[in-house]
Amino acid sequence: MRLLAPISALLLLGGLSTGLLAFQRGGYGEDEFGNAREARTYYSGDENGKSEYSWSRLRYTAAGAGGGGYGYGRWSSWSRDYPKADRQFLIALKRLTRIQARPVEQVVDLDSDGPSSIENFPWVYAVQAQTWTFTEPEAKRMREYLLKGGFLMVDDFHGATDWEHFMNGMLMVFPDRPVEDLTDKDEIFHVLYDLTERFQVPGEQYVSTGRTYEKDGYIPEWRGIKDDRGRVMVAICHNMHLGDAWEWADDPRYPEKFASLAFRLGINYVMYGMTH
Amino acid sequence: MFEFLFKYPRAVFAKGDLVLLGGWPRWVLVLLVLTAGAGLAWLIRSKLPQASPHVRNWKAGIIWLLQFALAALLLLLLWQPAVLVAELRPQQNIIAVVVDDSRSMAIADGGATRAQQAAKALDGGVLDALGKKFQVRLYRADGRLSRIAKLDDLKTSPPASATRIGDDLKELAGEAADLPIGAVVLLSDGADNSGGIDLDTISTFRSRRIPVHTVGFGLEQVPHDVEINDAVVAPRALADSRLAAKISFHQRGYAGQKAMLTVRDGGKVLAGRQITLAADGETQNETLLFNAGAAGARTLQFSIDPLPGEENKDNNSVSRLVNVESSKRRILYVEGEPRWEYKFIRRAEEDDRIVSIVSMLRTSENKIYRQGIADPKELADGFPSRVEDLFPYQAIVIGSVEVSYFTPAQRELIQQFVDRRGGGLLFLGGRASLADGGWGASNLADLLPVVLPNRKGTFHRDPATVSLTPVGADNIITRLVEDPAGNVERWKKLPYLMDYQEAGTPKPGAVVLAEMTAGNRKMPLLVTENFGRGRTAVLATGGTWRWQMSQPLEDQTHEQFWQQLLRWLVTDTPGAVVASVPSQMLFDDGRVQFSADVRDKNYLPAADAHVQAHILGPAGTAAEIDMTPDPNSPGTFHAEWTAGQPGSYLTEVTATHDKDELGRDVLNFARMDGVAENFHTGQNRELLEKLSAETGGRYWKPQDVSRLPNEISYSEAGITVRDTKELWNMPIIFLLLLALPSAEWLLRRKWGVV
Repeated sequence: MRLLAPISALLLLGGLSTGLLAFQRGGYGEDEFGNAREARTYYSGDENGKSEYSWSRLRYTAAGAGGGGYGYGRWSSWSRDYPKADRQFLIALKRLTRIQARPVEQVVDLDSDGPSSIENFPWVYAVQAQTWTFTEPEAKRMREYLLKGGFLMVDDFHGATDWEHFMNGMLMVFPDRPVEDLTDKDEIFHVLYDLTERFQVPGEQYVSTGRTYEKDGYIPEWRGIKDDRGRVMVAICHNMHLGDAWEWADDPRYPEKFASLAFRLGINYVMYGMTH
Repeated sequence: MFEFLFKYPRAVFAKGDLVLLGGWPRWVLVLLVLTAGAGLAWLIRSKLPQASPHVRNWKAGIIWLLQFALAALLLLLLWQPAVLVAELRPQQNIIAVVVDDSRSMAIADGGATRAQQAAKALDGGVLDALGKKFQVRLYRADGRLSRIAKLDDLKTSPPASATRIGDDLKELAGEAADLPIGAVVLLSDGADNSGGIDLDTISTFRSRRIPVHTVGFGLEQVPHDVEINDAVVAPRALADSRLAAKISFHQRGYAGQKAMLTVRDGGKVLAGRQITLAADGETQNETLLFNAGAAGARTLQFSIDPLPGEENKDNNSVSRLVNVESSKRRILYVEGEPRWEYKFIRRAEEDDRIVSIVSMLRTSENKIYRQGIADPKELADGFPSRVEDLFPYQAIVIGSVEVSYFTPAQRELIQQFVDRRGGGLLFLGGRASLADGGWGASNLADLLPVVLPNRKGTFHRDPATVSLTPVGADNIITRLVEDPAGNVERWKKLPYLMDYQEAGTPKPGAVVLAEMTAGNRKMPLLVTENFGRGRTAVLATGGTWRWQMSQPLEDQTHEQFWQQLLRWLVTDTPGAVVASVPSQMLFDDGRVQFSADVRDKNYLPAADAHVQAHILGPAGTAAEIDMTPDPNSPGTFHAEWTAGQPGSYLTEVTATHDKDELGRDVLNFARMDGVAENFHTGQNRELLEKLSAETGGRYWKPQDVSRLPNEISYSEAGITVRDTKELWNMPIIFLLLLALPSAEWLLRRKWGVV
C-alpha cells in the first residue's frame, strides 16, 4: 500500500504530460481522409478537407531512430518545422496563385493505402532527407509514384555527410538515374516566377548567428532527378532550409529576402509539379 | 397438268381478257343466275320441314351451293365464254435470247458450269422450238451486249469480269426500238455488280410491252461458304491512330465453328482474332481494332481464313482504302486553374506525334502560363479573339473556366469554330465548369451535348465509379479492350474518379458513352454530339488522373483513353479543302465523280475559287482536270473522270483564289476488275423474279424451260394478232359438269336424304 501513493502520482504525472503534449500538438492522428485532426479543428469549416491540391509531407522511417523515428517525437526528423512551415507556405500559395489548396497539410507515407495513399497526392515534400530509410517495397513504390507523374521536393539537409546519407535512400529509389544540377534554363525556375537570382536560404539560426549555412553546406545546390523526357521528378534543395524560412517568415528578425525567395521557390516547385 | 385441265397455257389466262361471245346481254345472265339461286333456295327451304332432321342445318346450304354452282355454270356456257389474247405472229417476230456470260456463270454448281447449264437448256429443244415459230437472236451479256451466231460462240470467248444485267438490258431495249422483238429470254444467275436494274430500263420494257422471261441458274444457297458482306472503316485517319473496322459477313455450313478474322496491309498482319461463326445465313458483325501506322495511302485487306470444304474462297476478303495523314493537329486547351487533370492530360498526349496540346493555364490572377506554343507570340494575348488566330487549331478543350472569362466576341468565335470551321470542342468538369461556370446560361449552351442543371454546386470532390453504356462498349473513344464485353468489365475495374460534376440531361441526338455512379446516383460522364460541321463532348469530371496514379506503372489506360478522346476530337476537323468520291472502290467500272468542299481563310464557302484535281494512276496515268462549281451549293465543286485501268489512283485537289492557295486535300481510290463477281455467287432469284414480274414475263427454273416456247407466244410486243380462245370445251368444264351433281348425290346418300 505504501507504493500506492507514488504509483498514483506517477500515473497522474504521466497523464498530465500526455494531456499537455496533446494540447500542444493539437491531438494528432488522422481522419478518414488522412488529414491531421488538429488541422481540421484549427481550420474547421474551411474547405472541409476537399481541395484540388494538398500540401503533402512525407513521413518516413528515420535511420537510427528505432521505432521512435516513425512518430511525432522531437527526434522524428520528417516533421521538422511541421506544421507551421506547411501552413504558412499554404497561406502564400493560396494568396499568390489560383491553386485551390487545402489550408492544412497532408501527411503521407509509403505504406498506406486507401484515401490517404500517396498516389492520391501527386506532390510530396520531405525534409531532413539524410535520415530517411526505405525498405525495398517502399523504394519501389516511391520510384513508381515518381515515374507515373508524382513529384518530390526535398529540403533541409546540409553538407557532404548529409548528402551521402540522402543518396543512400535515393539510390534505392533510382539506382541508375543521375542527379543533375538545375540551371537557370530549367523551366522549374520560370514556371511562375523567374528565379535566376538565387542565394542560400538559411534556417532560423541566422537570426542568432548571422550564419547562412549549416554543417559544411556552404554552397546552396539546386539539383534534380529527371525522367526520360527531361522533366524534373525530384527537386533537391541541398544546403538550404526553405522550411525554416516559411516557418519564421512572420518573425521580424528573420530577413524578408530569405523568406521571399523561399516562398517563390516553393511556389514554383508546386506549380511545376502541377504542370509537367 | 394446267394445260391438260385448261387446254391453254397459263399465259393465255394471265395476259388475255375474258369475253362472252353469246349474243344475249350480260345483265340477262346475271339476272338468270340470281333467279336460279333464289329459286333453288326457295325450293330447298320449302321442302325442309318434310326433310330429315339431319339436313335441317348447314348441310342444306351445301346442297343448295352445289345445285346453284351447276346451274350457274350451265348458264355461263350458254353465253359462250372465251379469252381474247394477243399472240405473236409466227415467223414475223424476234425472240431475243440473252445468255449471261459473266465470270460467276463459270461457277460449277451441279456438275457443270452455269453457262454450260444454260447452253444445255437451250440446246435441249428450246432453241429449235423457238426457231420454228420465231426468228431467234442470240446475245452474249458480259457488260457489253454482243450478238452471237450460235451457242458454241459462248464457249470460245473468255468469261467477262463483270455482270451488268441492267446495262445489257438497257442496250437491248435500245436495239428493240427498231426491231419487232416479241419477248426476251434471259438466262442468268442474277449476279449483278452494278447494284441491280434501274427503273428506267424496266419502264422501257414495260412501255413497249416486251416481256422478259428469266431462267435462273446456280444454287440459290451455297451450302458451304463464308462471305464478307462489307467492311466499314474510316477513309481518313491520322498516323498512329487506332482504327476500328466493322466487318459484316455471313456463312452457311459452318455454324458454331471458329474462324480467323484478320486485317492486312499488304502482307503484314495488322490485327486478327478468332471468331465464332453464327447461325447459317445470319449476318454477323465483328469489330477489328488496329493501328493505322505511318502516313500514306493504305490498301487494307479484311479477310476470314478459308475453312475446309469452302466452295468459294474468293469472297472471303474485301479491300478498303485508308488515307493515313501525317499533318499535325493542334488542340487549344484553356485551363482556369492549376489542377492535376491538366498535368496528366498533357502527359498522356506527349507521346502522340500527330496531336499536340497547346495550353494556356491561368496560374495566378495576372499570369497565363503557356505550354506547347509554336512561337513566343502564340497566345501571348490570351485566348484568341480573331478567326485567323483561333481557326488554325483543330479542337478546343475548356477546363475549369467560367464562361465570363471569355468576351462575347470570343464566345461567338467558339461557336463558329465548331459550327463553321468544323472543329472539336470538349468541356471538362471542374469547379468553374459547366453549370458552376455559368455555361448553361450562355449563348454557348447550344454547343453542349447536355442540358445543364439550372443551379450551382454541381461539382463535387467526392469519388465516383465509372461504367460504360452499351454504345460506349463498342466505341473507338472508350475502347480500352477490343472485346466489347471485356471492355465493359475493364471500365468497371478502373479506379474511382477523384471528383465528378452533374452534367444534366443528354440532348436528343447526343450519345452517352460512359456513366458514373456516386452514392446511388448514376450520371452521364462522357457525352458526345455532332454540331454543325464539328463535334462537341462533355467529360463531367476533373479526376481521371487517378487512372494514371492509382494503377500499375505499366498500365496505359489513362494515356490510351485520352489519346483516343483527343484524336476523335480532331480527326474529322476539315481543312479548307475537303475532297471526296462517292465510293473509293470502283468495281469493273472506272467512272468516278470527284467533289470538293472549298472554304476561304475564314472558312466561308469559296464559290469563286479555282479548283483542280491532279490524278496519278497506274502505268504512268496522269491527268489534271478543272472542277466546276455547283450552282446550287456555293463552295462545292464537281468533276467527272474515268479510270481506264485497274489499280490505285491518288488524287490531289487544290484550290486557289487570286493566286493564293486556299488549301489542298488528297484522296485515293482504286479500280478493281473481276473482284465483285466473286461475291453473291448464289443465284439472285429475287432479282430475276422481280425483272420478269415487272415486265410481264415469268421466272423459269431450268427444268421447266421446255414449256417456254409455248408460252412465249402470248405477248403484246412485236407483231401480234388477237386470238379468241373458246373455253366451253376445256376439260375442266366437263369435269365440273360431272363432279357437281355427283358430289350432291354422294352427299345426299351419306346424309340419308336421297
